[in-house]
Amino acid sequence: MPEASNYMRIVKVIIEEAVSLLVGFAVAVIILLFSGYEPLSVISILFSEGFRNTEVLMKQSIPVIATGLAFSIPALAGLFNIGGESQLYIGAFTGLVSTYIIYNATGQPVLSSVTGLVSGTLAGGFWGFIIGYLRARRSVNEVVVAIMMNWTTYYLVLYLIVSRFTDPIYSHMSVFVPASSRIPDVLGFIMITGVAVLTYIVLRYSSLGYSIRVAGLNPKAAVYAGFNLEKIFITAMSISGAIAGLGGALFVLSVIYSIDTTMSAIYGLGFLGIGIGLLGRNNPIGVVLAGLFISGLQFGGQWVELRTGAPPYLTDVVIGIIVIALSATYTYELLVSKLRRG
Amino acid sequence: MRSLAMRTLVLVIIVVIIVASIGVYYYYNYASPSTTSTNKPIKVAILFDVGGRGDLSFNDMAWLGAEKARKDFNIQVEYTTPQSQAKMQDLLESLSASGEYDLIVLVGFLWTSPLNATADKYPNQKYALIDSSTFINRPNEVDILFSEQEAGALVGVLAADMASKIGCNKVGAVAGMSIPPLWRFHIGYLFSVKYYEMKTNKTIDFLWEYTGTFGDTQKGYQYATSMLQERACVLYGLAGLTHVGMFDAVRDWNKQGKGVALAIGQDASQEWYMPRYMPISGAKRVDIAVYDAIKMVAENKWTPGIHVLGLKDSGVGIWDLDGVKYFAEIAYNQSKLETGLTPDDVVRIVNETRNTYITETGWNIMSELEQLIISGQIAFKNPSTEEEYTQIVNALKNGDLNAALSRGSI
Repeated sequence: MPEASNYMRIVKVIIEEAVSLLVGFAVAVIILLFSGYEPLSVISILFSEGFRNTEVLMKQSIPVIATGLAFSIPALAGLFNIGGESQLYIGAFTGLVSTYIIYNATGQPVLSSVTGLVSGTLAGGFWGFIIGYLRARRSVNEVVVAIMMNWTTYYLVLYLIVSRFTDPIYSHMSVFVPASSRIPDVLGFIMITGVAVLTYIVLRYSSLGYSIRVAGLNPKAAVYAGFNLEKIFITAMSISGAIAGLGGALFVLSVIYSIDTTMSAIYGLGFLGIGIGLLGRNNPIGVVLAGLFISGLQFGGQWVELRTGAPPYLTDVVIGIIVIALSATYTYELLVSKLRRG
Repeated sequence: MRSLAMRTLVLVIIVVIIVASIGVYYYYNYASPSTTSTNKPIKVAILFDVGGRGDLSFNDMAWLGAEKARKDFNIQVEYTTPQSQAKMQDLLESLSASGEYDLIVLVGFLWTSPLNATADKYPNQKYALIDSSTFINRPNEVDILFSEQEAGALVGVLAADMASKIGCNKVGAVAGMSIPPLWRFHIGYLFSVKYYEMKTNKTIDFLWEYTGTFGDTQKGYQYATSMLQERACVLYGLAGLTHVGMFDAVRDWNKQGKGVALAIGQDASQEWYMPRYMPISGAKRVDIAVYDAIKMVAENKWTPGIHVLGLKDSGVGIWDLDGVKYFAEIAYNQSKLETGLTPDDVVRIVNETRNTYITETGWNIMSELEQLIISGQIAFKNPSTEEEYTQIVNALKNGDLNAALSRGSI
């Protein structure tokens, strides 16, 4: 029996996603029509160009899969982590700088990149811990703390790059990851996917995962049943921060190699992660798929601008609508249950 | 449960029908396959800097050049702005791999390293890099640079003349980072201030500061204010967005009654920003560079390598009043002009400011120098190392004008 109900559930999810995708496209078509662009060509360019190159797809999705996971894990515990942005910044920065310093000190490529990844993860984890700690022990709203930390970290990293770690040749860039410490981008993607799979296993089969899910489903019942909510909140936030930090470090070490002094390469990836977490329905495997999907659409958006002259914002709107439609399945469920009741 | 499944199915079918019918309607109405013409039109892709359109300067000028080329050569031009620096490399690769474009124009020095990583992989794809160079000769790459010395030289004469008219006898420049284009500006600017001294037997002091950034208006403001406190009264902005802070400092200095000070813009005509305090702007014609690059492909005269645009190609110089009006109009349309001003007002005020602060002698010395440069009697050195640059600047400070010249003498 559990097998059959599981099967039904998956079918239901697929149907829901299909419906929302179609609704999303229908709305997008209407908006494009009103703005005077050919909806069909815009949408077909989005897909055909966005998903043409698998390697591009993989490397661009590394950071957003990480921030998607960083949103999903606390979400399961009933927390709203909007701090993926700052956790990714600090991870990217710490990863870059420690790789650079260790390589220059020891000349060991493997040691330096491993140190970079580990320190990026730790830094992100610490950033998440701060939010979790304040929420659990001081009852400070995690959203407020996270938003403030986003901007503080943004300017902190910007300051450090501009004042201490500017590249001597390309003055608009931070120092570069030494060539031999760089990680192949495909490996970077495999690593973050591995993290997602691991997260899936932990959430589903470990006692930690169980306690996170229970805390999210019903915090009062969780306390009554003897779960330590404070500990769960702190752990969930630390883990999610660590994953976002690792994502940042991986992105720097395997894709961008350096952070530009306008931070355009890493800005916004945390916010995008929220949409990806929702789209992936807080399921780590779903987050990987959603990350690939959105990265593809975004990349396709560049081609839309080339081919049709549509401003990039319009493509963002189209992508946004599709994301909203896909993640708003709860509304459909509500609608359906209303229909059923008559 | 069955009724739930039924209702969902009905919903799906309805949506599918709606979407499909829109699709079919479109297919028949718009997707007319008229790709029967045999000679494929020339197609060019313009990739802007991350900042993109709307900067009223660098990127917008590139767009102007491309639009002019599109009309003149009747070709297809497509534009895009990379969403972030992380996407530049991938975007360039995917455009190159498509093989659709006869030329890819890369606007700005941020494209230097993505181009370096891509150009060799696609030997049949032509690239034009504007205002930067990889310094590698590739048969499929054109780099277009500007001789900033020549723009700096014209501006320097007028700056010195304005400073002498105001009576402070000290000019300054707020520069961005110590990179080769700025070295060239420095040499031209300092050279012509010394040239003005020589011609008029006056003494004009010279200040030059690197702020270390092109994007920090706050720093521009600070550096400019300290120069004004050192009694410099004409400041040349050579730092992109940073020198907009310099403009503000100059405006405040005047408005707070601390004395008369003037600013000089660069790249696009920037007089519209504060026509009362900015009589001139140096020109760096990114539009002409983009136009020339497209022309090479459109007229099938591809000549790879480094091209340098100077005064005689109208690639650099000083904006005339038509240029001032043109940019004032763009600013006006984007409601960036001071309230109550029209583009014609800007031109009128700029003209007044010029008449007030630039003397006949100043204009004469400038055109004399302009003639020397255009006729090729003198040419400026182009330092490739910081050491060489420092040597030239030091020699100039000691009054050895010929140290800056690679051809001719003064």
